[in-house]
Amino acid sequence: MQKILMKGNDALAEAAIEAGCRFYAGYPITPQNEVPEHMSRRMPEVNGIFIQAESELAAINMVFGASAVGARAMTSSSSPGISLKQEGISYLAGAELPAVIANIQRGGPGLGNISGSQADYFQAVKGGGHGDYRLLVYAPWTVQEMWDLTLRAFDKADEYRNPAMILSDGIVGQIMEPIVCTRYKRPKLPQKDWALTGCAGRKPNVVKSLFMGEGALEEHNLKLKEKYGRMKKTEVLYDSLYLDDAELIVAAYGIAARIASSAVRKLRKEGHKAGLFRPVTLFPFPEKKIADLCNSKRRFLTIEMNLGQMVEDVRLAVNGRAQVDFYGRPGGGVMTTEELYNVISNKIISGQNAMPLRHSPQKSQ
Amino acid sequence: MTTATRPMTLKELSRSEERFTHGHRMCSGCGAPIVVKQVLMATDYPIVAANATGCLEVSSCISEYTAWKIPWMHSAFENAAATMSGIETMYRAWKKKGLIDKEVKFIAFGGDGGTYDIGFQSLSGAMERGHDMLYVCYDNGAYMNTGIQRSSATPYGADTTTCPAGDVIPGKPQKRKDLTKIMAAHNIPYAAQASPAHWQDMIKKVRKALDIKGPKFLNVISPCNRGWRSRTDDAIQLSRLAVDTCYWPLYDSNTSLLRRIRGCSRKSRKI
Repeated sequence: MQKILMKGNDALAEAAIEAGCRFYAGYPITPQNEVPEHMSRRMPEVNGIFIQAESELAAINMVFGASAVGARAMTSSSSPGISLKQEGISYLAGAELPAVIANIQRGGPGLGNISGSQADYFQAVKGGGHGDYRLLVYAPWTVQEMWDLTLRAFDKADEYRNPAMILSDGIVGQIMEPIVCTRYKRPKLPQKDWALTGCAGRKPNVVKSLFMGEGALEEHNLKLKEKYGRMKKTEVLYDSLYLDDAELIVAAYGIAARIASSAVRKLRKEGHKAGLFRPVTLFPFPEKKIADLCNSKRRFLTIEMNLGQMVEDVRLAVNGRAQVDFYGRPGGGVMTTEELYNVISNKIISGQNAMPLRHSPQKSQ
Repeated sequence: MTTATRPMTLKELSRSEERFTHGHRMCSGCGAPIVVKQVLMATDYPIVAANATGCLEVSSCISEYTAWKIPWMHSAFENAAATMSGIETMYRAWKKKGLIDKEVKFIAFGGDGGTYDIGFQSLSGAMERGHDMLYVCYDNGAYMNTGIQRSSATPYGADTTTCPAGDVIPGKPQKRKDLTKIMAAHNIPYAAQASPAHWQDMIKKVRKALDIKGPKFLNVISPCNRGWRSRTDDAIQLSRLAVDTCYWPLYDSNTSLLRRIRGCSRKSRKI
């Protein structure tokens, strides 16, 4: 198939249209503006609906409404905007409504900056909003995966009746790469017989997240737990590089994994036994695979563009059977291949702990 | 202390302190810093400012630098009016306890996105609660900071990146929100529209507003050459044209009395 040059954010938006998404509500925030801009141009061409809301709160609740009537609905934002959407996301999860939410992460906390970051891992993976819920979280590391995982996210959201999140970042969102725009093939999915499509001739449907009856909410939560359990069994995706004989396994996702992969390849060329493990789904987390990888010779090094978030899940999966270290750059700091090469080779050669932070804050002149 | 009764002369203006100073990183030819400068030069009251996220906020406080010579606070996009409400309430409490005796004035600045759209709720709340503050909206008609997306201040038919004009859809299909009218409908003591091209009028309005106790709203047109695709030296000319063509009538609303100063005369319609 022919390759075309595309920006990460445009690939995400176009993939949503390819997957049959005909409802998009968004709000401007850098670095995800290409998504609403692309949608505003393309949606009228495919008889879809683009709405620029007056705030992130409005956008996520528009998605709630569209999803409740059975539409494939999507919204996107970047970190501060995703924080504003959390109430709506919790309601979507509570009412078991499928939707796709893209977070093109930027540096935080607060207004932070507009460069790529991975600091929203906890927010995406551990719930984010109130209540006991989980999102399906996909972490693309290339523009190609922005396309592929978006197609998948819509299907899985519908299959599980659960919101799915594309947890990308400002770098993957902004880079341009040649990609193959694979055609969407609709898998067999359950009918949306719960959707509010007009109840003439049938019993009215109810979509709600309010359960006031004695024990009703507990029962609902246990039902959700069972659903998350099913996701953990069947939806785990991961990717790896040189794992077989690796003595040091670098665990990283998204853009950090991309940078780390270059460093790992360089080290392999020099004969060092380094490998890369990349979770593609962050929830469900590939904890079983990581547990299987543990042996007495192996050590793990988690690399993230934050102060250490996924490392907690790696440690939980390893459960004390191997040493797990961490190297991170927070606040939109981007690591270089050379930097990671040094970090990883130091780790391999001397076994010394990775420095948690390379930079002390510099005063600009 | 300033009073609204007397207009300021150019000579006086040249002597008044610049409290929004050079060195900020707004685009050359932007209307917003001109608006802020004029607002702050209009008075010699001590001012505390709050700022919504937007071009003005981002470009005036990069890293450890600031263009503001007054206490200035930014928190997020949707809450300049709420932030100011908190500051003003604290000031009132201090005053009551005798901890401060200075007469301080409070001004919140926001762009049209942070005022018409996401910040509307907090603005409406602050106006209704009656905080003693002036809210100044610099309206450039779109989300310019994030790359020219439509806002509810974007005029009908305008071409933005999220309502692109093409063969089928000629630009923004909706009409703009008349926010000044909505603010006046809050029955606040003072709501007005101004333009940096009519600086005498704007300064008079700011002075008048600051001398009134209670919530005040000032909507100022602020051309953006990046968004409007105009020349970098066109800002003042365009804001004058906006007034002359009745796009931006200059008026003020004093509680319920609507008074037009300059705008839709039959003569100006011919432009």
